[in-house]
Amino acid sequence: MTPHLHLVLNHAPALGLAAALCLMALSWSRRSEALRRAGLELCCVAALVTLPVYLSGVGADVRLSGGPEVSRALAARHHDAALPALVAMMLTGGCAWLALWRSKQAGRLSHGPITALAAAGTLVLLARTATRGGAIRHPEIAAAGLGADADPAVAAWLSAGALADAVTMNAWVWPAAETLHFVGLWVLFGVVLAANGRLLGVLTAVPFGALHRLLPWAALAFGLNVATGMLFVIGAPAQYVGNASFAWKIAALMVAGAQLLYLTSFDGPWATAAHRPAPPGARVAAAAGIAAWVGVMYFGRMLPFLEL
Amino acid sequence: MGLLAGLEQSAFLVWIREGGSLFGYPSILFTHTLGLGAVAGLSTVVALRMLGLTDAAPRALLRLFPAIWIAFAATALSGAILLLADASAKLANPVFTVKLTSIALAIAGVRRMRGRLMADTGVPAAGRDRLLALAVVLLWIAATTAGRLMAYLGPAGGPGRAS
Repeated sequence: MTPHLHLVLNHAPALGLAAALCLMALSWSRRSEALRRAGLELCCVAALVTLPVYLSGVGADVRLSGGPEVSRALAARHHDAALPALVAMMLTGGCAWLALWRSKQAGRLSHGPITALAAAGTLVLLARTATRGGAIRHPEIAAAGLGADADPAVAAWLSAGALADAVTMNAWVWPAAETLHFVGLWVLFGVVLAANGRLLGVLTAVPFGALHRLLPWAALAFGLNVATGMLFVIGAPAQYVGNASFAWKIAALMVAGAQLLYLTSFDGPWATAAHRPAPPGARVAAAAGIAAWVGVMYFGRMLPFLEL
Repeated sequence: MGLLAGLEQSAFLVWIREGGSLFGYPSILFTHTLGLGAVAGLSTVVALRMLGLTDAAPRALLRLFPAIWIAFAATALSGAILLLADASAKLANPVFTVKLTSIALAIAGVRRMRGRLMADTGVPAAGRDRLLALAVVLLWIAATTAGRLMAYLGPAGGPGRAS
């Protein structure tokens, strides 16, 4: 993943979250469930897009920092701010996803403030990350000392350096993370295979709503695999950032994650009752979802072998 | 053991192990991963039903079992090829015995789950059914753990080592 990709993508999480908060605010003033649903869905998409932003940043760090134009210290400070921001973004996306899932199960969308508060807090962390990132290439930011604030305590243990040390200095961490990654893989694949299979005409006696109830297990497994995946990348970045197979895996993951959001929040799948066929759009989405998850597993499994 | 050593050196298995083709070892490994994902994943969906976490009609879930058995066949076949390509190292690895035992018990549990689904009388999940479901999931976790740890524990072997 090139450094330029990082510059192209890096505004997406913050702008996406800001737009989501605007939609949620509008939904309160207009009492519109559709606007709120759109805001929550945008939170999920922003969280998903944060993954390639973070990973392209790691790639840029590996490629450029320590060179004549990129200070290793400034890049490290930016990375140390990015990691808590990534965690906060994933939690915000998780809150939004849960609200969307519950809205289908309960029949109404709640108007609680949790997701909005999480999004606002994440925006603060993203702004801090962006300021430190700006200091890398903007001399006026670095000169004003804006990228040089002291590290608060939360960053110390969640810094990339501390996590990398934890991975490389404790021999049990990598195998344990791999095992959890594989368990997460089959929990996730089993649930999405069953749910998408229903839309494709298998299990026709089962209403989609019954399989929709299992989606939180897929979401939890997704979160587990993002967390363990981040440990791999932080522990051994050079294995991943220059590897085109990994780039394809993340691209497939974007499609697969979006399809999981579709299964969770859209009416087409939800309305598929027992003994009824799914709408044509839902069937296309189901096939794409299965293909995307197979792609995630294929490119992940092929990482040591495929030189693209 | 002599037969296995001979098989290990057969042209096909030498090609799998050392040929360097993407259609060899990497594809067998991917088939194994995909099959494991489907077997353990779909049987976990059934287990979640038996744990009462979804209200899908139990007999309706019987339609999942052909896919589970086909996926298991693909996993077993790819696993057999991976074993034969590196039999001397894998058979000497005690972790491999743990893996095979866990898989055998998990499959027995999955067959028992199918029997319970077929016998379903509409009564909510009984305690014994929940224990069976939990046991199957834990056995798949054990098999996955042993499968991963084989790359780190036991005698050094062929291409599967700690990738």
